[in-house]
Amino acid sequence: MMAQAVSPAAQRPQRSNFQAVQRRITDKLATGLSWLAMLIVVFVLGSILWTLLKNGLPGLTASLFTHSMGAPDTGGGLANAIVGSLLQTGLAILLGAPAGLLTGIFLAEYGANTKLARTVRFVSDMLLSAPSILIGLFIYMLLVEPFGHFSGFSGAAALSLMAMPIIVRTTEDMLRLVPVSMREAGIALGAAKWRVILFICVRAARGGIMTGVLLAIARVAGETAPLLFTSLGNSEWSLDMRRPMASLPVAIYQYAGSAYQDWMQQAWTGALLVTVGVLIINIVVRVGIRGGRT
Amino acid sequence: MNEKTMQVTPSVDAETDASAASLSDRPIAIQVNDLDFYYGKSQALHGINMVFPERSVTGMIGPSGCGKSTLLRVLNRMYDLYPGQRATGEVIFSGQNILGSGLDLNALRSRVGMVFQKPTPFPMSIYDNIAFGIRLHERVSRSEMDGRVEDALRRVALWPEVKDRLQASATALSGGQQQRLCIARTIAVRPEVILLDEPTSALDPVSTARIEELLDELKTEFTIAIVTHNMQQAARCADQVAFFYLGELVEVDSTARMFTAPRESRTQDYITGRFG
Repeated sequence: MMAQAVSPAAQRPQRSNFQAVQRRITDKLATGLSWLAMLIVVFVLGSILWTLLKNGLPGLTASLFTHSMGAPDTGGGLANAIVGSLLQTGLAILLGAPAGLLTGIFLAEYGANTKLARTVRFVSDMLLSAPSILIGLFIYMLLVEPFGHFSGFSGAAALSLMAMPIIVRTTEDMLRLVPVSMREAGIALGAAKWRVILFICVRAARGGIMTGVLLAIARVAGETAPLLFTSLGNSEWSLDMRRPMASLPVAIYQYAGSAYQDWMQQAWTGALLVTVGVLIINIVVRVGIRGGRT
Repeated sequence: MNEKTMQVTPSVDAETDASAASLSDRPIAIQVNDLDFYYGKSQALHGINMVFPERSVTGMIGPSGCGKSTLLRVLNRMYDLYPGQRATGEVIFSGQNILGSGLDLNALRSRVGMVFQKPTPFPMSIYDNIAFGIRLHERVSRSEMDGRVEDALRRVALWPEVKDRLQASATALSGGQQQRLCIARTIAVRPEVILLDEPTSALDPVSTARIEELLDELKTEFTIAIVTHNMQQAARCADQVAFFYLGELVEVDSTARMFTAPRESRTQDYITGRFG
C-alpha cells in the first residue's frame, strides 16, 4: 500500500514541471501578443490625438468661438458651425431618444419574441449598420426635395435616424438585464405591468440607458455624410433651423479640402473640438457607469 | 421555537388532536378544489384539494420540482405573466373562484401578497420601497404615508436599523434586512394572505431565525403559506403542513401529526430523509 501510494506522488513533480514550463511559455507568448496588439492600437489612437493637438491647438483662439465662418484671411471663426452642431445634435437626440427608448422598451417588455418585435429588431439593427450617406439621401428625398431647400431640421432628422437604433439596442439590452424576480416582485404587489416597467425596470436600468443615449450623442456629433444632403452647411451665422445650417463636421470637410492656410488651420482646430467633445462624453459615460454600479 | 416540536413528541395523541381540532375550527381563507396546472403540455399539478385556514401558517414541503412553488404561484395568479401556463379547477378566495376570467388581478395581488426566495428590493430608497405598494392601491396623505411606512418597518423589526436612513438606497441593506424589507413592503399593502416562496433559503441562520419569529407574529393577522425546503423550518413555523410529491398533494395535516404520525409512507420517508 505504501509503495503504491508513494510512486504516483514521486512521479508527479517531474510531469508537472514539464507542463509548468510549457504553460509558462504559452502564457508569456499570449501575454506578449496581447501587449503588442494593445500597443499598436494605443499608438494609432495616440498619434491621431497627437496630430490633432499639434495641428489644432495653434488655431484655438477666442475669435474661433466668437466669429462665424468667413472668406479666407478675413479672420473668420467657427462659431456658427459649433452652434449649428449643438443645435442639430441636440434636436436629433430630442427626437431620437424618446422614440429609441420607447422602441427599446417595446422590444424588451412587450414584443419579446413576436414576429413584429423580431422585424423591428432586425430593421433597427440594419439601420445601425446602414451607411450614413444613405440615411442622408433618404432624408433628402423625404424632407429636402419636397420643401425645395436644405434645412437644419432635415440635418437633425438624419442624425436622429442614426441615433435611434443605438438607443433602441442599448435600452433593450439593459432592460433585459433586469432580473425577472424584480418584475415579479412588482407584479406581486399588484402593480400594473406599465408601472412595473416604468418605475422599477427602467429605474433599475437607468444607468445603462443613459449610457446608450450619451454614446448616441457621441456617435452623431461627428457625422458628416448625413448632413451633406440635408443641412448642407452655411457660412453665415444662423439659428433658423428651416434654413441651411452649418455644422462642425461639414465645416471641416469644406475647409480641409481648401487651398487656404487659415481654413486648413480651422479645419484642424474644428476636428480637435469634435474629438475632445466626443472624448468628454465617453469619459462621462465611463465615470457614470462606475458610479451607477456602486 | 423548537419547544413546539419537542413537546409534541411525548404526548402525540392529545397534542395533535388539539391542534388539528383548532385548525379545522378556523374559517377557511383559501380553498383549492381539483386544481390541475400545466406548463405548456406538461402537467405540474394533479388534482390538488386542500384548504388554507385563516390566520395560520401552512407549510408546503417536498423535493424540488414537486409543484409546491407552482401551487403558490397559482394563489396570486402569478403564472398569468407567462403564456402557456394555465390552471384548471377552482381556487376559492373570499367567495370567488380566482381562476375565473375577468378578475382584477392587481386587486387580487393586493390581497394576496408574495415574498420571494431572493430578496428583491426595488432600485429606490428604503422609504419608497414601502410607499410604492401603498401608492398603487390607496391615496394617502404625506403624514399618513410616513406612519404607514414606519408601522410596516416596525412590524418586521427593521425600524431601529433604518430609521435614520430611510432615504438611503434599499440595495445597500444586507440580505436579511432586504428580505425583511420585502416582507414589510408586502404587509404595508394590507393583504389578507401572504405567500412566501422559500423566503430564508438565501439567508444566514440569524436572519432566518428573525424571519421565523416574524412569521409567528404575522400569523395573528394574516393567512400565511410558506414553501420551504427546510423540514425543521416547517416544523417550527407551520400549523399545518402539506407534502407534495411529483405534482401531487400526498398528505396535508397538522404539523404535529405530519411530523410524528404521518398516514402516508412517502411522507414518512421524505421527513426522515430517505429521499428528496
